[in-house]
Amino acid sequence: MIDPEARYLRTHEWAKDEGRGIFAVGLSSYALEQLGDIVYLELPEEGDTVEQGGTFGVVESVKAASDLYAPLGGEIVEVNQAAVDNPDMLKEDPYEEGWLIKIKASNPSEFEDLMDAKEYKQFLETEAE
Amino acid sequence: MKRTVLYDCHLECGGRLVDFAGWHMPVQYQKGILQEHLETRRSAGLFDVSHMGRFEIMGRRALELLRWVLTNDAAALPVGRAHYTLLADETGGAIDDAYLYRFLPEQWILVVNAANTYKDWEYLRRKAGEMGGGIQMKNISEELAMMALQGPQSESLLWGMIEGGQLPEPKRNALGAVRIAGCEVLVGRTGYTGEPVCFELFVPAKAAERLWCLFLERGACPVGLGARDTLRLEASLPLYGHEYGRDVTGREIPILACPAAKVGVNLKDPERRFIGRDALEEQSRTLKKGICAFRVLGKGVVRAGAVVFQGLREIGRVTSGTVVPYWVPRAVSCPHHCGHGAGWEAHFSGQTAQRAIGLAMLEGPLGAGALIEIDLRGRRVEAEVVKRNLDNSCGPITFAVV
Repeated sequence: MIDPEARYLRTHEWAKDEGRGIFAVGLSSYALEQLGDIVYLELPEEGDTVEQGGTFGVVESVKAASDLYAPLGGEIVEVNQAAVDNPDMLKEDPYEEGWLIKIKASNPSEFEDLMDAKEYKQFLETEAE
Repeated sequence: MKRTVLYDCHLECGGRLVDFAGWHMPVQYQKGILQEHLETRRSAGLFDVSHMGRFEIMGRRALELLRWVLTNDAAALPVGRAHYTLLADETGGAIDDAYLYRFLPEQWILVVNAANTYKDWEYLRRKAGEMGGGIQMKNISEELAMMALQGPQSESLLWGMIEGGQLPEPKRNALGAVRIAGCEVLVGRTGYTGEPVCFELFVPAKAAERLWCLFLERGACPVGLGARDTLRLEASLPLYGHEYGRDVTGREIPILACPAAKVGVNLKDPERRFIGRDALEEQSRTLKKGICAFRVLGKGVVRAGAVVFQGLREIGRVTSGTVVPYWVPRAVSCPHHCGHGAGWEAHFSGQTAQRAIGLAMLEGPLGAGALIEIDLRGRRVEAEVVKRNLDNSCGPITFAVV
């Protein structure tokens, strides 16, 4: 499942434009499927800043820890505490309730650097090969 | 990439296949690692362990070879029993850990780790060659498939299928042979999950698919390598490459640093000279560091390689670490007085939870209750050394010690 509204990083994070320069960030359903059971999320504090492509947290499955990369740079304005408390919700609703953080982008045009849904779909097909 | 005879079954069960030691093996099935772990603890988990190596060792000097290359004393192994053993090198490190089965008086079956099968086979053949004859060795890994059936319901599941023969007596490491669906199956009460009710089944390869399907029809849950690892870790069982072999810094781990090795190393008979004996005697006298179980008290999951501290002092490294799920026990009075409602009278509440646990090689002596700190990506997380993370002392149900 790929959300047509979202844009994607090669590391499978997505970003969605919520207006006023704020972007919601989450993990694609493909990535969640690959990770298997997610047991722990480590997310930043509100007010922290991050650069585009920089790490903003860690997602832990039973088998391994994986870094989370920011699709855009800026200030973290909201953290999904419900997802931290119950990582299962990421899989249940990866593109809506299962968002991870919201970023006030310092340069909203970075959104244009990301793959759109069509490009991401093609990218997944090449990865599968 | 090699496939076990159950490869098609894994695909049919929705197994996610990964490369493991040169084998295409399921890391998990559709239910996922956590659920497979829980199903094993509550009912019965079914594992394909055919990727492990199986060697048949026979001949008039077979026992002499086994007493020379293995740390446990094969002469102390009666017919109808199995025991844990190791292949040691001269410096007291592990070439591998293994299980030795004696189904027949003059025949031993040695089961070794998948990743080490080739190395072990070549090593044993060389040692047999040095002895100059009287030993027949056969690699039976392909003709004899192997499955594990583990968990409190696994015995009743088997009972309903047996057409003849006898299950092993209810005692760990006992062996038997039964006929199921017209097929002769060798059975050991052995396993790698910490379950007190546990079976490992040696099955002719051509019958393996049929039996696998029958076990599933009877309610067994297919379990992949992911939950195999969480189950063994919860039971503090060692894994070659983590608790044996070389540590993350490349140094050889002394065999006797691992508490599990104590049942696999037999130094009782002073007349028996075996490879690694001198080094192991030295370890038993002088070794200060050891592998300890711990539970994480703070937030986060620690992984193999993480540095362990007490205050400012670095005291060791994590050898294995993960998160395991567990059934929250319903508190009932226990006739065995083991403190938390385990045993025959116990029941699961139906609720589950998760906890981070692991094993670490630590400078000792550190007893249960000692507090340690573990580096977790630059921050310290508190953990407690524990005697055990799983109570399987009065089955058939095991309980998380939390």
